[in-house]
Amino acid sequence: MRKFFRPREYFKPETLEEALNLLAKYGESARPIAGGTDLLVKKPPEVEYLIDIASLPLDYIKNDGEYLKIGSLSTFHSIETSSLFKEGAYRILAESAHDFGQATVKNMATIGGNVCSAVPSADFPPVLMVLDAKAKIVSLAGERIVSMEEFFAGVRKTVLRSDELLVEFQIPKPPPHTGAAFYKLGRTSVDIALVNAAARITLRSDGVCEDARIALGAVAPTPIRAKGAEKLLRKKEIDEALVEEASQTASEETKPISDVRSSAEYRKEMSKVLVKRVLQKSLKRAKGE
Amino acid sequence: MIKLNVNGEIHEVRVKPYWTLLRVLRNELGLTGAKLGCGRGECGACTVLMDGKPILSCLTLAARAEGKKIVTIEGLAEGLKLHPLQEAFIKNGAIQCGFCTSGMILSAKALLDRNLNPTEEEVREALSGNLCRCTGYVKPVKAVLEAAEIMRKGGSR
Ligand SMILES: Cc1cc2nc3c(=O)[nH]c(=O)nc-3n(C[C@H](O)[C@H](O)[C@H](O)COP(=O)(O)OP(=O)(O)OC[C@H]3O[C@@H](n4cnc5c(N)ncnc54)[C@H](O)[C@@H]3O)c2cc1C
Ligand code: FES
Ligand code: FES
Repeated sequence: MRKFFRPREYFKPETLEEALNLLAKYGESARPIAGGTDLLVKKPPEVEYLIDIASLPLDYIKNDGEYLKIGSLSTFHSIETSSLFKEGAYRILAESAHDFGQATVKNMATIGGNVCSAVPSADFPPVLMVLDAKAKIVSLAGERIVSMEEFFAGVRKTVLRSDELLVEFQIPKPPPHTGAAFYKLGRTSVDIALVNAAARITLRSDGVCEDARIALGAVAPTPIRAKGAEKLLRKKEIDEALVEEASQTASEETKPISDVRSSAEYRKEMSKVLVKRVLQKSLKRAKGE
Repeated sequence: MIKLNVNGEIHEVRVKPYWTLLRVLRNELGLTGAKLGCGRGECGACTVLMDGKPILSCLTLAARAEGKKIVTIEGLAEGLKLHPLQEAFIKNGAIQCGFCTSGMILSAKALLDRNLNPTEEEVREALSGNLCRCTGYVKPVKAVLEAAEIMRKGGSR
């Protein structure tokens, strides 16, 4: 196998059908390129054909009342500046996009690329997980819908086949009294995450927790849900002590590694702190405070 | 063979599929204002404008740029008349070694093109992708705010 990134051909399909045909034709040796901010840093030497999907009409945000539908080629800049994400549970989308990388990278990086790169520290997967997002995946053979929890298969591994494209994220309308929050810990404000965490809480009208979702990134080979911690919160009236207990449980559910950015112990400890913060913030927002 | 629109001029260039826009600007077109710092998206020295938005030319395929309008630092001055941002950077001592300057100025230009009255926070946000090892950012930020003021008062562009 070649040692360097030297693709022999470049295609810029204008339609989804064209793109899918190219992917079907070249199989494993082809690779879609969206923003390129992951692919052109990694430069995988096995790629022979680059399928530039940036011209496909997949940069959109629509709300049909039941579902929020976000095209996979939406950039973090589009998400951060969308007027649809100024309030309510969707605020978490704009907030996490705000914390993403630096201004230039935001103009290029797409949310589809963020999810498909399947890097454990990616910022958007935990957000999509707490929002109960599903990915719409298409190929010449048809379409399938995969939930974010089933999407990741390991470090840089997903359930996507080489002939498939992720075209859209579908987010069900959150119930009333729902609040969500995201927090990212990096070495600097623009670095990739050491740990990131997202939460979403839905309250009943009497203030009891109807549903709670917690997701973390960079603490396991794939982004994870902290299901034990979620269970502690459901059907309870959430107070400080319960938030503390749930944060501790969430931290115990992580399986971080040590690397140049930080040690596993630090990541575990910080998971607790981050979960606590996102829970407190989500709770406040769910109460409309 | 691709056609690139750089600073309003059309160039026909033969490119390899994996060549970046930065490589083509520097090596094929001789436009060396955009710099190669890290080559991996971290430093912003390679920043250029594509359809008005600051992007990193080290992480953009040259072929991707076909059909788009590219502006590099070389495209800012009109003859011998510098852009107000360039003037303000010089006047405020916002340039030391200069390696980051073309990227900084282009990020700032994109900001001022959509908002001529930015806050300091907005300027810092806009320059967040442009690392500078020399100035400590205080003077570049001041220069951008000053250029904005001059442009609000009708200084050219
Ligand atoms: C300086 C810098 C800062 C960064 N900061 C952050 C950060 O703060 N947070 C963070 O999470 N990440 C960060 N990243 C990583 C990266 O920018 C993001 O993961 C980004 O969202 C990737 O999107 P892209 O469109 O550039 O992906 P690309 O590089 O185009 O693609 C990534 C991978 O996904 C595949 N792919 C892309 N789109 C699709 C699709 N629709 N269907 C199927 N496969 C697809 C590609 O084939 C490729 O393998 C940063 C990167 C850099 C260089
Ligand atoms: S050279 Fe492009 S970001 Fe450093
Ligand atoms: S002036 Fe030297 S890096 Fe900015």
